[in-house]
Amino acid sequence: MSTPANAAVAIDGGELALGGGLLALVRPALDLLAPGGVLAIRSRNAGLRDDLPAWCRVEHHDYFGVERDADGADRHLVARGGLGLPAGRREAGFALAPSAEGERFTAATVLSAVPFPERADPHSGFAPRGARVEPGGPRYPFTLTERDRLAPPEVAQLYDQAVAAHWDAARDIPWAKIPRLPRALEAAVAQVMTFLAENELSALYVPARFVPQIHPAYAEVAMFLATQLADEARHIDAFLKRARAGGAGVGISAATTSHSLLTLLEARDFTEASFLLSVLGEGTFLDLLSFIEKHAPDEATLELARRARRDEARHVHFGLAHLRHALAHDPSLPARFEAVVRERAARIPQKAVPAHVQDALTVLAAGDVTPSAIARGHEAFRGLLETMREGRVKRLENAGLDREQAERLSELHTPNFM
Amino acid sequence: MSTSSDDTILLGAVAYDPRVVTIWEGIRDHFQQEGASMDFILFSNYERQVDALMRGHIDIAWNTPLAHVRVQRRTEGRSRSLGMRDSDRDFRARVVVRRDAGISTLTDLHGRTLAVGSRDSTQARILPLYFLEQAGVDLARVKLLPFDTDVGRHGDTGTSELAVLQALREGVADAGTVGDLVWVTEQAAGRIDTALIDTLWATPPFDHCMFDALPTIDEGKVARFQKALFAMNWENPAHRRLLELEGLKQWMPPREAGYASLRAALDRQGLW
Ligand SMILES: [Fe+2]
Ligand SMILES: [Fe+2]
Repeated sequence: MSTPANAAVAIDGGELALGGGLLALVRPALDLLAPGGVLAIRSRNAGLRDDLPAWCRVEHHDYFGVERDADGADRHLVARGGLGLPAGRREAGFALAPSAEGERFTAATVLSAVPFPERADPHSGFAPRGARVEPGGPRYPFTLTERDRLAPPEVAQLYDQAVAAHWDAARDIPWAKIPRLPRALEAAVAQVMTFLAENELSALYVPARFVPQIHPAYAEVAMFLATQLADEARHIDAFLKRARAGGAGVGISAATTSHSLLTLLEARDFTEASFLLSVLGEGTFLDLLSFIEKHAPDEATLELARRARRDEARHVHFGLAHLRHALAHDPSLPARFEAVVRERAARIPQKAVPAHVQDALTVLAAGDVTPSAIARGHEAFRGLLETMREGRVKRLENAGLDREQAERLSELHTPNFM
Repeated sequence: MSTSSDDTILLGAVAYDPRVVTIWEGIRDHFQQEGASMDFILFSNYERQVDALMRGHIDIAWNTPLAHVRVQRRTEGRSRSLGMRDSDRDFRARVVVRRDAGISTLTDLHGRTLAVGSRDSTQARILPLYFLEQAGVDLARVKLLPFDTDVGRHGDTGTSELAVLQALREGVADAGTVGDLVWVTEQAAGRIDTALIDTLWATPPFDHCMFDALPTIDEGKVARFQKALFAMNWENPAHRRLLELEGLKQWMPPREAGYASLRAALDRQGLW
């Protein structure tokens, strides 16, 4: 028996038996050691002379034997075995908590201290980033395992903003301030709300499909998407409440909308889906919500359009950040986007904004059904289409596409807005 | 199918648990990847498996120590030992006692109730009783409380050892014999009340399971079997799953010294 001169770590087990709690001291102490590192265990439990070697044999640690300390206690020496060693470096020395009272402890602070890895190992499963992972775990079916295709650095800040900005559709909208509107105007509001809710349902379902594909090393992306899903849930809730609050009720769902949203739901790639949904779709919706805000006939409609638009701006912001980040690492993306947009356009038979939606937006902007008011509403609608087109081109350029391609893609965008 | 080929190593194992199918299907796949064609036959008990080996129906038997020494005896010591688990080496058995039974030496067992495992369990019955006798205990003066569960499986399931511990817990026995694997893993999992139950004695070490073959086995099969077996690696997740199920971390080369006490015990107890 070769006895090591020095133990790197020593613990005092008192009279604890192996099965009486001693291992709660021994196992964490061994975890501090590299293979071969020696732990000294002081003990006054004679049973350990048999049990500790047997346990070491089962766990593949090296039991070096027992010595008698000057005071008569046993001193067992155990070297950490090499099997089952968790991979990675122990996290230590973090003290991230804010120093001042009232200061926010943000996810962005944590991300900057524990940054995203370039690649993630599917065998680490749901282990939080930074955890030391025992080898031998099963492989998980996460497919989004590369930082540069998935996780822009801004995502933690966007998550922090989203959490701070959550609102309550039951409380924060002045529902009592909906006057009795002219029937045609109320019907137009309800139809617009129906259209918004239908599209928002797709915005709830589409990102949800990608959450389980995201490797938990990039959890902030999944967490941001969770805030986005919660936002969409609130929007759906608020829009449908508005449709039913003023006496008109939920309106018509168009086949154009249905065709368009199915192509979103069937997108298989996260970056492509994010491009179609967040940059093109939600981007276009920003202009739509501004339009509704501008022409809102009542305070509730105004407030919910305003709140939804702020949330949507965050979704678009994430989509753009994701895209810029991905484009910087994959020069083949613009060509892929163009192919995806063309393919999508070919699958949507209709080429115009759904008629019920166009009419409702026209009446909403007119505020009345006199021919002169409708003429103004019609001009406003045409202006909206132009604003949307310009906005899309600007956002696509902002994401990193060249002007010509941005214009082509904007032109091919679905007449359903989303 | 490859099983019809002469190159296929046919291995026998006892299905002491449904997991045995998972284990050997996984090991068969691993052997395939290593270029060794292997298939397995499951038996319900070790006696049938040893007979099949002796008749040449299988090439290799994954044997308990009891089956191993019987194969050696039936081949007059010429059988081939091919490998064992790390966990099969330096096994010991324990005599555990209720703390309130007032047993502090081995001869205090005289006149007391000693719970023991299955009659074909090396670690829970055959060897602890042999070693106790060697240490001066008169077994005629001890009341044995046997738990003959899973006879034919040679103690593989560990159920008789858990029954021994339960008997101590309930106070129907003053002492009991268990293998140290069960004793230590039950303790490590927090399932032993150490205020109630204590170790009295540990037996000398002995070795456990072994892959056995007849002396006539093809050398190519031996080489392919050992190469593929020893290539299994704990750090490989696919392998680790199988190794954990089979209760080892590493396959080891064979060694024979650890079975002498079992042969002596079988002589003494007339259990050949
Ligand atoms: Fe929304
Ligand atoms: Fe959105």
